[in-house]
Amino acid sequence: MREERSPMLEEVKRLAKTALQEQRVEGVLGLKKDVGNVIQPHIFERSDDLDALVLEPKWLFAKLAMKILRVSDTGYRLAVVCRGCDERAIVELVKRNQIAENSIMTIGIACGDAQAAACLCERPYPENIAAGEKKQGVDPFNDERVRQFLVGDTSERVARWLRVLRRCIKCYGCRNSCPICICEPCKLEDDTWVPKGVIPAEMMCFHLIRAFHLSDTCVACGACQDACPVGIPLLNLQLSMRRTLTEKFCYEAGIDRERKSPILRNFFDEEEKGRDIPDWVSSLE
Amino acid sequence: MTDVRVYLCRCFSEVDRTVDLERIQERLLQNASVASSTIVDSLCLDSDIQRVAAEIKESGAERVVIAACSTMGRGDSVIEGLAEEGVDRFAIHLIDIREGCAWIHQDEPEGATFKAWNLIDMGVSLVAKKDRSDDVTIRVRPEVLIIGAGPAGLAAAVMVAKLGYTVHCLDRAAHPGGMLRFISRSYPNDEDAVLKLAPYLDEIHNNARIAFYPQARVETVTGFAGNFTVRFSSGGQERWIRPGAIIIATGAMVYLPHGLYRYGETQNIITQMELERRLQSESDSIQNAVFVQCVGARIPERPYCSTICCPASIKNAMRIVEKNPDARVSIVHRDIMMPGSILEDYYRRAMLQGVQFVRYRDDMLPAIKGYEQVRAVEVHDSITGTTRVLDADLVVLSTPLVPNPDNRYLADMLGLQCDRYGFFREIYPLHPLETRMEGIFICGSARWPVSSDQAIVQGEAAAMKVISLLGKGEVAASSFSRVPGQKFGHATVNPDRCTGCGNCVAVCPFDACTLQEIEEKYTYISRVNKMRCKACGNCVAVCLNGAMQVPEHNYRAVVEMIKRAF
Amino acid sequence: MVEETTVREPKILIFACRWCGLIGADGAGKKRMSLPANFRIIPVECAAFVETDAIIRALASGSDGVIVMGCHVGGCRFNDANHAAIKRLELFQVLLEATAIGKERLLISFGTAHEGHQFSDVIQNYTTVLRELPPIDPWISTLSVRR
Repeated sequence: MREERSPMLEEVKRLAKTALQEQRVEGVLGLKKDVGNVIQPHIFERSDDLDALVLEPKWLFAKLAMKILRVSDTGYRLAVVCRGCDERAIVELVKRNQIAENSIMTIGIACGDAQAAACLCERPYPENIAAGEKKQGVDPFNDERVRQFLVGDTSERVARWLRVLRRCIKCYGCRNSCPICICEPCKLEDDTWVPKGVIPAEMMCFHLIRAFHLSDTCVACGACQDACPVGIPLLNLQLSMRRTLTEKFCYEAGIDRERKSPILRNFFDEEEKGRDIPDWVSSLE
Repeated sequence: MTDVRVYLCRCFSEVDRTVDLERIQERLLQNASVASSTIVDSLCLDSDIQRVAAEIKESGAERVVIAACSTMGRGDSVIEGLAEEGVDRFAIHLIDIREGCAWIHQDEPEGATFKAWNLIDMGVSLVAKKDRSDDVTIRVRPEVLIIGAGPAGLAAAVMVAKLGYTVHCLDRAAHPGGMLRFISRSYPNDEDAVLKLAPYLDEIHNNARIAFYPQARVETVTGFAGNFTVRFSSGGQERWIRPGAIIIATGAMVYLPHGLYRYGETQNIITQMELERRLQSESDSIQNAVFVQCVGARIPERPYCSTICCPASIKNAMRIVEKNPDARVSIVHRDIMMPGSILEDYYRRAMLQGVQFVRYRDDMLPAIKGYEQVRAVEVHDSITGTTRVLDADLVVLSTPLVPNPDNRYLADMLGLQCDRYGFFREIYPLHPLETRMEGIFICGSARWPVSSDQAIVQGEAAAMKVISLLGKGEVAASSFSRVPGQKFGHATVNPDRCTGCGNCVAVCPFDACTLQEIEEKYTYISRVNKMRCKACGNCVAVCLNGAMQVPEHNYRAVVEMIKRAF
Repeated sequence: MVEETTVREPKILIFACRWCGLIGADGAGKKRMSLPANFRIIPVECAAFVETDAIIRALASGSDGVIVMGCHVGGCRFNDANHAAIKRLELFQVLLEATAIGKERLLISFGTAHEGHQFSDVIQNYTTVLRELPPIDPWISTLSVRR
């Protein structure tokens, strides 16, 4: 999609230039259209360079921002041009002490209808929208591509899951691209948990361990399945758990900067809808 | 680790009637970690313990697996016995093949034998791969902080001082005594409250070991059991102390029933405490009094019974009759709660003195008659089914004790929890007066509404628990176990793997984990406070990286056990 | 090692906390109740100790089902440790259900097995449930993980 002279892009460029000129940040992380129409991530440190900024295609910067800040000098501040899911990923990384809150600034852009439909995204906009129009998201559970894996007859679903997971070549692309996967060393590389040298990746161990580690922090950005070279719909692994957290605890990852995952707290601090906690006395019956 | 010695106990044929121990011995030869295995008739007789201990020490085996009965059978005593003979407790692992195998699979000897072999294999893996947690020993400071100088706090202070330790007693009022200062007589023996308090107040003022701080407010608390640091202000002055233990005896408040029974609108409708004041002054003579029980208590917002209001009403009813034998006193109630024989006797005495008891139902509440001054109380008697009008020139409303609003502020500062009503929360019922923080105890009405007698009992009990901690002089973190015996271990962080995500900090039920910034580059690493850690394992389960482990049950041991289970 | 395995029933791995779970097992043992020999118990200090990754590993290493036995809510020796454990395990069941492995593969038994006969009932009932489920083999791409 060509949006070179759209009002949204102009607004983002203006905000980014102002941020640099007013010295609120030292660099702006975004996509640059370079020589030969090649588009790649770039740290803009001079406001003139920002003329080459573009907003398409979908590119997620959260993990990149984290790594940049880690190797930069102390006091280096970064502004990030980010979509909804990206902003949520940044919030989760801030909560988990991977990015210092005062060293990052977001320039939030809302996604269009086409992008929301392509990602099956429920929330195609950041909480702080700087440019673009907030669009209604779509419910992934209404789409057959998701339903066929998560809802309905068990034996059919087993067959579907096995068919896609058997393609896995254990490239670790999903883990590498996921903004939340930040552990070094990673448990998936430990022979005790995931047997080495087994291709396709041990379905039970590799995929379930990875999926559950993200249970309460996945922001549904889709980077995992975008990165997968054999097209496994990895996001489907997370959707049911995300839905459960919303229904039982009114919790969605990446929305609240202060609230930690409800499954870490007891039932008094983080109540579960529909669960009645008896006094210990009544449980003696 | 290739040096595991295995003992297979026949238990005088209780085990090998079903499980073929010799076949298991053959299979164990294939396990590279097993150095030797021995079948014995029994392990729990004294002669066995000495012999086995000697063998183990002589062989130089680093680890021992004992396949015998369950820990709750004789297993624990076997381990204790060996430990007493000098074998390192850490090196021994007990596998249950009697209650857990031979006795429940008597119909399936093949299956039982196979299972027993699997279980022993698992035990060998665990004991070979387990590591030892660190421990830490601290000196316990011989001073105690008591927050609150009501009957509970005073009783605790006097007992602690009597046993030789320094006491710092704080109260937010200008004088000690708590609510007992405003009571005329206390039940069940109608003791004068001033006389009851006198010996305690005497000790507070004269005992050199007790320092009393009036008009006090706690500002900050840091530290752990044996070594707290507390900053507080008293009468405007800042102070700080370092106690080894803290007792909370902050009491409770009387609920003021605004909006109920025309309290505050019509004259001569008062609370029980206000009646106490009147009776203290001795001047009044009351003619027709009606007590209404359960005002604001045992209702959906506050479903508990406050325990002290029935005895208090009966006591005061009898007092009114005592001062004016012509007085007509009624107690309008939902149930009369008088547990124990002494209080039951008290109840009967009141009835004999002419106090009337009328029972009402919670869905048909009594009504006040009279606008400016109260005239009567109309009540539907649920036993006779009739509506009665009781003349009244004084109506006394018995309201429950409710928690101090300050409780949550104090709880946050100390790391404690409050229950759903706002009282301080005790830890699991088998540890009375203890809280989830080691070294901090609760007693009296701060914990649950109690009479002054009960408060004194609890205060002394809390004092005894404190003394049992202080008296040790030096304590190891591993002794602060919630379970019989030593702690299982301590959670330990591998700093090379920890990403500082904070999951462990959020999940710990004892607030034992904190994040420490280790470099300027915004990097955090988790740190475990061994005094607080109880090795429940929650942090291990939520650590995504496997950085947090309890060495005695580390992940390599667990996965190895899982692999060898079937 | 695939020897003459005499375990024909569905295989159950149990993580039992020392307090409620093991006391129930001990109770069944003392009464010499008759139980099938298809389960193994790994004792843990508290049910909160059980990592979901360990449950996954168990299902990948030959167990047909896993039971986590703990104390009822409000009765945990370690204050509220079992609250987080229950939330975590129930969310894990959602994942098992989403992947069609089936939430029945994990039985969460908090406070339902602390007496002998209760323990026995849990084992017998769960064995029946597991017999109805399809085999778990297709999910494990290689047998090299067993031993």
